[in-house]
Amino acid sequence: MLHARREEWPDADAFLEAAYERGWTDGLPVVPATPERVEAFLATSGLAPDTVLGVVPTREVTVTAEHAAINSVMAGCRPEYFPVVVAAVRAHLDEHGNCHSTTGTLSGAAHAVIVNGPIRDELDVAYGAGCLGPGFRANATIGRALRLVIRNVCRAVPGFLDRATFSWPLRYSFCFGEDEAAGDWTPLHVQRGYAPDQSTVTVHSIMRMVSAWDSSSRDPEGVLDTLVAETRYHGIAGDAFLGDGVNVVYVMGREHQRFFFDAGWSKERMQAYLWPRLTAATAGFHDRRVNLGHPENILIVAAGGAGMAETWVLFPHLAWAVTRVVERPGDVPSETAR
Amino acid sequence: MSIVALDPTSGPVEGTARTRLAPRPPSLSGQRLGLVVNGLGCSERFLDALAAQLLATTELDGVVKVVKSSVSVPPDPGDWSRLTEGATVAITGFGG
Repeated sequence: MLHARREEWPDADAFLEAAYERGWTDGLPVVPATPERVEAFLATSGLAPDTVLGVVPTREVTVTAEHAAINSVMAGCRPEYFPVVVAAVRAHLDEHGNCHSTTGTLSGAAHAVIVNGPIRDELDVAYGAGCLGPGFRANATIGRALRLVIRNVCRAVPGFLDRATFSWPLRYSFCFGEDEAAGDWTPLHVQRGYAPDQSTVTVHSIMRMVSAWDSSSRDPEGVLDTLVAETRYHGIAGDAFLGDGVNVVYVMGREHQRFFFDAGWSKERMQAYLWPRLTAATAGFHDRRVNLGHPENILIVAAGGAGMAETWVLFPHLAWAVTRVVERPGDVPSETAR
Repeated sequence: MSIVALDPTSGPVEGTARTRLAPRPPSLSGQRLGLVVNGLGCSERFLDALAAQLLATTELDGVVKVVKSSVSVPPDPGDWSRLTEGATVAITGFGG
């Protein structure tokens, strides 16, 4: 049984105007969350409406599957996207996902939703050319659903508990997949302990996102040295609560990937090369400290199309990157799953 | 055709008791000032200087200062107790 308050409007236009007046949207139109649609979304996850996906203690908020389903409908998701949204909400509401800080901060931090595993192709989650931008329904609406949960359920409304000075376009939506077949790299979720045939979501808070453009280097070391310089220019702050669990994400495009594939470099070798250089003693204002506890905290994701020789650096806000498995009724648990 | 839709929120944002401003005293005379240092930038230096000015120019009864253990989480429960039990007014500073 659904628990949310119901209301009736004479038509779609009246609903939409009411949604704007009540602050239920991010500024873009939303789809009415009819009880029938919400039930259909919940059915794809096998979750009861009152299943708790997580809590935000500082806001006295409990997020349920029904909350997530309503906001997924409003975001424009298809029903089959909903298990991915559930995994993203669970990851974000992990204690070290640090919802309160990352959604209330003056810095306007955003969240990247990175999808791995077979479900990427089942849902057409884009991971090739243009995948970080608009034009892909799954990417746009899954990322937006998480943001609407953050806004409507977790109360991160601008001027209320969202205290961002400028905020950020990435707060509308930011979701993409990993191009797992680009080469022979170990996919992100497998590096994080999941089986290749599992589907997962990794949610990474982003303080800033910077392009490490390097069209001159012709070998792995040169590209990685550029990543080191770009990362150290901005730095990654330490934090007592987060300890040594903070991550940086490098979304590496094809023109950089090929140097590593040609030379037979694995992600593990890249992490081993990067970590001591990232964390070495710093020299000054534009060579800042990078607080990464271990080489494994460096998350490398293959994505994007051909053309530009660049890698995007997703600097963390005050959270860990958290990975959660996408669960659907009837899925057979993998024997090698963690 | 009419539309029935569900409320997507966890409750109203406006007007909740927890978001109202506390009543303000007519003066600082006899009050104990609570300060929360969030650890960002020069927040501790700034709040220390502010407290020194207020102690010199008003009849404050004392200062209860809390330094958060991390910028990313609220004060520890023990620090909240010190604030709520020891302070009668507070300054909330923020910034980065």
